[in-house]
Amino acid sequence: MPADIETKQIEDSVAKNNNEVAVGSDLEFQRRWWRFEHILWLALTALVILDALGFFGRGWFAKAEAKTPDGSMRIEYERIERFGAPSLLTIHFGQNAVRNGGIQLWASDSLLHELGSQRLIPQADRSALDGHGILYTWVAAPQPDSVQFSMQPAKVGSAWLTLRVPGADQMRLKIAIFP
Amino acid sequence: MGGVWRGVFGYLFLVLMVRVAGRRPGKQITPFEFVFVFFAGGLTLTSMVGDDRSLLNAVGLIASIALTHFLMVWARQHWPVFGRIADGTPLVLLEKGRWRPDTMRRMRLQHDDVMAAARDKGLERLDQIAYAFLERNGEISIIPAED
Amino acid sequence: MTTIWHAIFGYFYLVLTVRVLKRRPGAQMTPFEFVLIFLIGGVIILCTMGDDRSETNSVCAVVTIALMHRLVSYLKTRFPKFGLIVDGTPVALVERGVWHKDLMRRLGLDETDVMAAARVKSVKTLDGIKYAILERNGAISIIKNDS
Repeated sequence: MPADIETKQIEDSVAKNNNEVAVGSDLEFQRRWWRFEHILWLALTALVILDALGFFGRGWFAKAEAKTPDGSMRIEYERIERFGAPSLLTIHFGQNAVRNGGIQLWASDSLLHELGSQRLIPQADRSALDGHGILYTWVAAPQPDSVQFSMQPAKVGSAWLTLRVPGADQMRLKIAIFP
Repeated sequence: MGGVWRGVFGYLFLVLMVRVAGRRPGKQITPFEFVFVFFAGGLTLTSMVGDDRSLLNAVGLIASIALTHFLMVWARQHWPVFGRIADGTPLVLLEKGRWRPDTMRRMRLQHDDVMAAARDKGLERLDQIAYAFLERNGEISIIPAED
Repeated sequence: MTTIWHAIFGYFYLVLTVRVLKRRPGAQMTPFEFVLIFLIGGVIILCTMGDDRSETNSVCAVVTIALMHRLVSYLKTRFPKFGLIVDGTPVALVERGVWHKDLMRRLGLDETDVMAAARVKSVKTLDGIKYAILERNGAISIIKNDS
């Protein structure tokens, strides 16, 4: 005795065209969908154009430059970065950055944490961590006139990076990190 | 934790892209179609995995993709509106000797695509077709005219 | 920006490769062709993403190729000649019982391939075939001899 299988009487559940062929076509929905697609394609095109211009990082808009008023530092950086994507930050030192025969640079620890700095060229002779940042020292002559950090951002969001030659003006940069 | 979000987002984004850019007429997926689907999928997965190529990340990603997929399948069955958003609706292409030029144009179909489907049914000419529909999966179904 | 260029180039390169690969008859893609697509595609995917594996990058790349795909689809409908280049044209292999042996040879087909498609339509012998057409997607459609 087979188990009872649930059955259901067929009804006119698939919409008919001209009361003839059961197609189930919903043209009203389709028209709205076409409008949605049209808008979507415009948005997608805009997205690619914005990306090409660098609004999402790695392009013309993302490149930025900051100078301290006293000329001790000129920083080339990217104001928009991407998570995990390698990028560079270059600091050009002015004449007044050289003190006591050496150059020192203090950077907030966001350089290590959010921005994921991995390498510094040229390497500092000394680097010391204090509670909020790192102090790099270059002593040996000739002192570098520019140093470069290579970074791989590790945290999505916005990061504040403070850079300062001790005794001179400081620079506070806001860097956005996209996913 | 980030991996889960990447998996969900990547999956949904791909579904949207394929839905919007990928559907073409015809039963089989042509090599041309396959290029897009494959390329898009590969690019998405590369960023999902990112630099974390650990097994744990892979397991987490696959699990979140599978779960999202399952949720979508369930949503389709449960809400017809969602079904229409996710799959689309069947459309009339040809009805009793008259084309629907607006539909044909918007779905980027040519008369030859319909004729190819008709040939598959053994029909020789356009006037032997009573109805031609574009099904949700891209297939063109033909109802021959009775003489 | 480089990702976008890579993506555009990669997409067209893939489409060209797929088109140029000798299309075997029958709608299915053979395992060998799959391997080839995966290999070539995989290389292009990795090169497109480069060292930047962020979601932002992959979304931009996928959207770029979606736009390319849409562009090509549009061009195909607008310029039939373009459609010919990208997809090819249906080719009649058998016309009213006449077999175009030279065409078949150049396409890399023989009678057995045509017969295989015919058997699907329950045609048992070669003379049961009135027309055999190699469609653009590689499938062979058979129009029977009603005798």
